[in-house]
Parts: sequence; structure tokens; C-alpha cells
Amino acid sequence: MNFDVIIIGGGLAGMKAADILISKGRKVAVITEGHSIHNVSYKDFQNAGGTLLMGDSVASADVKDGKVLSITTANISDIPFTADNFILATGKYFGGGIKADMNHIWEPLFGCDIESDEDRNTWFDWDFDKKQRFLDFGVKVDDKGRVLSKGTPFENLYACGEILAGLSGVDEDADKKIEASAERVADIIADNTSDNTSNNTSDNTSDNTNNNTTK
Amino acid sequence: MTGNTKRKLSILNLMGQTNKGNEFDVIIVGGGITGAGTARDCALRGLNVLLIERHDIATGATGRNHGLLHSGARYAVKDSESAEECIKENTILRKIASNCVEDTQGLFITLPEDADSGYGLDYQKTFIEACIKAGINAEAIDPKDAIRMEPSVNPRLIGAVKVPDGSVDPFRLCAANITDAKLHGAKVLVYTEVTEFIKENDTILGVKVRDSKTGETAEYRAPVTVNAAGIWGHNIAEMAGVHVGMYPAKGALLVFGHRVNNVVINRCRKSADGDILVPGDTVCVIGTTSTKVPFEECDNMYVTRDEVELLLREGCALAPSLATTRILRAYAGVRPLVASDDDPTGRSISRGIVCLDHETRDGLKGFITITGGKLMTYRLMSEIATDAVCKKLNIAKKCQTATTPIIGSETGEARKDTLEKTIKKIWSLPTIGQKAAAGRFGTRAADIPYESEEDRRVICECEQVTLGEIKYAVKTNAITSLEDLRRRTRIGMGTCQGTFCIYKAAAALAEALGTPEKADIIAKDYLNERWKGMTSVGWGDTLREMEFMQRVYKRGIPDSYKNIPDPTKK
Repeated sequence: MNFDVIIIGGGLAGMKAADILISKGRKVAVITEGHSIHNVSYKDFQNAGGTLLMGDSVASADVKDGKVLSITTANISDIPFTADNFILATGKYFGGGIKADMNHIWEPLFGCDIESDEDRNTWFDWDFDKKQRFLDFGVKVDDKGRVLSKGTPFENLYACGEILAGLSGVDEDADKKIEASAERVADIIADNTSDNTSNNTSDNTSDNTNNNTTK
Repeated sequence: MTGNTKRKLSILNLMGQTNKGNEFDVIIVGGGITGAGTARDCALRGLNVLLIERHDIATGATGRNHGLLHSGARYAVKDSESAEECIKENTILRKIASNCVEDTQGLFITLPEDADSGYGLDYQKTFIEACIKAGINAEAIDPKDAIRMEPSVNPRLIGAVKVPDGSVDPFRLCAANITDAKLHGAKVLVYTEVTEFIKENDTILGVKVRDSKTGETAEYRAPVTVNAAGIWGHNIAEMAGVHVGMYPAKGALLVFGHRVNNVVINRCRKSADGDILVPGDTVCVIGTTSTKVPFEECDNMYVTRDEVELLLREGCALAPSLATTRILRAYAGVRPLVASDDDPTGRSISRGIVCLDHETRDGLKGFITITGGKLMTYRLMSEIATDAVCKKLNIAKKCQTATTPIIGSETGEARKDTLEKTIKKIWSLPTIGQKAAAGRFGTRAADIPYESEEDRRVICECEQVTLGEIKYAVKTNAITSLEDLRRRTRIGMGTCQGTFCIYKAAAALAEALGTPEKADIIAKDYLNERWKGMTSVGWGDTLREMEFMQRVYKRGIPDSYKNIPDPTKK
């Protein structure tokens, strides 16, 4: 199956990006490990033209020369999903976007670069109320919002939401920052790619008409 | 005296409403298991007892160990005296503190690498012989049978010995001793610090104390004062003007998220770091290390990364699945060993009991130090200390603690009084919370209020603590914080480390204390305490929990978690 954009993660960030991209006529799939998506019913989302893989996760990714070509999911392992662009919105530790064991910290799906501190003593403050540095760790992106791996950006892999370095969901204005990061990434992707749906003629804000997107 | 009057008096005793003035027969300094046990023993022998504790009960080494009911096998080869003490006390505690003890049995396993370092099956033979000589029923079993007995045990084992180990809940044991002492008339002051001894010439006449919450000071007098302050007893002795050469040996431990094993697993070799895995309550604990620490550090124990790595590595040799089991938290305690040589680790220092009569030792009258020993032998330590007290007071009463069950652990005839009530109130009902409380409070659980729906409400879901249990604990103990409440009820000790209950528990406790405005500060203190124990093991699922905990307490419960139906509500 082919999509314009595949979004991994159905939380606030992933769904915000999905909302914008669908409204701009893009064919979007959201893969989410959870059993709900942020603030929307799955029916509304599907009616709007989105494809949803609920309770599913990325099983493997085919990456070549810094470009993500396709992925397979845990539930649909035999048919790869291809897309022009991918968005990583898998959250931080709780969401599973970043994993850590005793000695390492890593991004499990694409092996993206993580901004962190090797010295674990700096990760936590004993005072619960104080700033906790581990909540600022996350993936690094370039000025175009593309995720870095070994210092070089992926050609078509973006990230938004809490998985980003410097964005902690614990901060008071976190929701605003998360939404802003999703908007930014969605806008970049929309600007860089042409609208390939036939019936999108204007910047219609409530674009629920692109029924081409349902397979 | 009728049963009813007796009960009413008892409740008054528990609530600390009996007025005794400032004169006692004996003052005990320290509210750990040794102080608690000594207070109970003295009270049972009819003495007028005052116990003074600087913090809460069980805050030192008593609440910071494995919770292992040693069979004594660990000491059999090197220290037969300790081994004999252990097995005797093991047998006694199973009878007198049945509600605090779980008969898990234990295994001493031999791994191929042990054979390479001189602790192979030949050593196993020596080990079994030493055990049997000490009176410990040790029996070699086929490694295959060991795996059947405890499926989590390292399958590479080449030898296994079955011993009568068990687990003991040290909080429960300490609290039960305190309660029992109070029921027998002892006065217990927690959060009260000894600031000075009242001394005349070469005699200790009593203590000056300060209430650490209010700052109020008071004086108490008694012909004998017992120093049972664990490692802090070093400073208490100095304050009294005598020197006890104590050796603070830190031991670090890790708590895992569930019971990986149901049988205690030990290594059959010379005692080393991280070679005992003990199942206790809903979790299991690996430990310990042994390192000398400066006295200044005893008040603020932390676990280093090296200690965590070592414990995890050694733990996986006992039960390999620990590698993939979530670590809930790390903690450390300080053993109050008495220095006898220059061994830098403290491993070779005897864990034996040390009872010092400072009159014969230092010419200081009216002062006794009881130290050394271990949780396992607390009753014997208490007996020895109480004997010394009675000798000084010229009282010829015999010790009863080896045969008289502690409150909550009564069985047979003694339990008949409460059994009917307990069955009606607890065992007839399907609620887990009430049954969990019965585990914690034993025969006393029948006194916990469950009449209203509100009192049956579960506050801490991991450990199944109800509002009624919180109210009862507050009524019968001098509780001021969630930490204090935790030592009586296990509140917040489970897999979520308080994430889902601290806000509820803080509100309930603040309400029960009559100071609802203090809920925030109560919550914050306990959050910090739970948090500290998680920071040493902040990776894997614990790190996920930590992020979630931060989120919940800094921004509130996420909306997506609010709609989950409450299974406790019909």
C-alpha cells in the first residue's frame, strides 16, 4: 500500500500532523500502539479520509541511502507500506519512542541520533519538583525538521512531539509546543510535496471530500 | 477484668492517652527492631517502659534489609555460633510472629563457576555437615528437583541444598512489637530526639529530649537506659561519655516489580555481594553489598551505579530472568557491626550479638548498649538486653518472648476471641483490600473499620490499602507522614511506586490527621522519597514510570486515563 505520509504514533502530535495533512489533501496513515487516538474518534478520522492501524506497531523498516522506503507492521507483516514521507511521533519513554537500558539510550525504529548525557548522575534531580534533565532528551532534527542519524538527516523522515530533544510533556505549555512542532512538520511536508488528489482545488479548511484516499 | 474493659484500655494505650509522668523503670533509645523487641520484653516482665525514637519506627537498618528469615545456613561454615542462634530464632519466630513470617523454604545453589573457584560439590559437603552440626536441617537435592521446586532458579546449577529459610516482613514485625509493648503499658515517643543524658557523677539518670516536630523539650528519668539505636548507637554512646567502636557497613539492595521466585535462593559459597534473592510480599529483593561508610553518611543512604550493576549481575546468576524484570527501586541500610579488626569490608566481622554493661566496662552506671546481631536475632538480643536491665533493677522475672505470640500472631485458644469477628468482617467477603489488611495486621484486622462504603474504598491499588485501614493506622499509631503510614500498611510500595495513589493517600491522611490543608506537603514529601529510590535504577520500564509520575504530578492525570472505569465501583 502506498501513502503520501505515514505517521507513527497517534497521540497529540501525530494526530495534529495527520489532521493538517489530510486537510491539505494528503493520503495519510496513522499507526498507533494504543487503543485510542488523541481527541478524535476513529470513525471521524476514517470519514475524513485517514487510514488507521490501531493497536499496531512498526515491525521493520526498509531504509536505503538515508531514505525510508517502506515499513511493515506487527499485524500486517506480509505487505510493506510505502510512503513519500514518514513522521515519527512516538513520544518519549512512556510512549516507547525512546528506550533506555542500564548503559544505552536509543530510538528503536530507525536508530536516530539521541541528544542525551552519558553521565547518568545528571539525568535526575532528587527533588521531584525540580527540572529533570532526562525529560529533555530526544531525537535531533535539522532545520527542516528531518531526523538525524549519525549526524546526517534522513531524506524523508520527520519527527514531532515529545520524541524531540528539548520538548518535555511535563512542561506546563507542553501541549502548545507539541502542536506547534506537529504543525511545523506538516507544513514542511505539505510545502515540499505536490497535492496529488484530483478534487482538491482550494485551501478548504474542512476538507472532508477527498474520498480518493480510501483505498 | 472483662474482655471488653481490657480492650478499651488497650485502645487507650495504643492511642498514647495513658499518662505516666516522667519517671520510668527503663528508657530505651531507638525504635528499630531491637529497641521495639526490648521494649516489649521489658513491658512483658512488668517494667514501666519508655521508648524514644528520633524518627519513626523501623527507619534505619530494620526497614532496609532483605527481610530474610535466615535458616542460619549462610553462617554455618564460618560462624557456627551465629548459625545456631539463627536456626533457634527461626524456629521461635515462626511460632511467636507467624503473621510476620512466610515459610518460603530456601535453596543454596552451586554453579559451574563456583566449582572453578573452590566452592564446588566438595564445599557443598562441608556446608551440609556444618549446617547439620548447627542444627539446621540441610538436605542436598537433585538439581532437577531444585528447578521443579523453584522454576526461576539458574538452570545451569550443578548442586542444590534445601534449607528452612523464609521471609519476614520487618516493618510488620517492628510495628507488632511496638504495639504489643504499648498494650503492655509501654510509652512510645516517636519523632523525639535524645539531646543530652542526665548524668550525675558516674551514673546516667535519664535523658533530655526534644520533640523534632514541635521543638518542645522534656526530661525523663529511669535507673537504666538502654542504647538500642543501631549504627546511631555509636553517637548515643559518645553522648553518654563512653566509646563503642562501631563499624558502619552499608548494604545496598534492589527491589524487583514482582516475585520472580517463591523460594529464597542463595549461593553455596563463601558469603559475597548480591548472593541472596528473597521473595517478600508482592516483590523480590536481591542483596546485599557490604562497604564501610563514614558515620556522616548513615543518615542519607544512596545506591551507586556500581552497586546496582553488581547486584544485577550477581542476581542474574541466581535467577536469570531478573535481567528482564523491572527494578522498582534501590535502597540501602547500615549494619551496626562492632569493629574488632581492620577488615575494610566488614564481611569477616562477626554478626554476633554485643551487649555492653557500661558499668563493668567503663564505670558508667545505669547504661547498657545492645548492638551487633541482626534482624533474625532481634528477639534474643532483646532478651539479653532485658536480662541485663532486670539484673540492674534486681528483678527476677523470666523472659516470655520465646513462647508468647506477638499481638496479631495469636493462634489457637488466644485467637478464639477475635476469630468470629474476623471471619464475619474479612474472610466472608470477596474484597482483596480487607484480606490484604488481615495479612498486615493479623488478628488485629478485625478492629479495622469497614462498615461504610467509604471505608472500604481502595486508596492504594498495588498494595490494596483501604481508607478504613489508613484511618485505623492513624488512630493506633503516631503517624505524621505517608512514609510513616507506608511502614504500617505498605502504601505506595507497589509497582506504581505511588503514581496512582499518593494524591489520594495524601488527602486521606491529611483528613484523618485533622489537617486537610497539609495534603500538598504530605504528598510532596512522599513523592520525593519514592522518587529518590527510583533514580538509581532509572532505565527500562522504571524510566517509563518516572516520566509518567512526573507528568501526573506536574500536570495532572492525562485525559485518556480518566475514562477508565473504576473496577472497585459497582
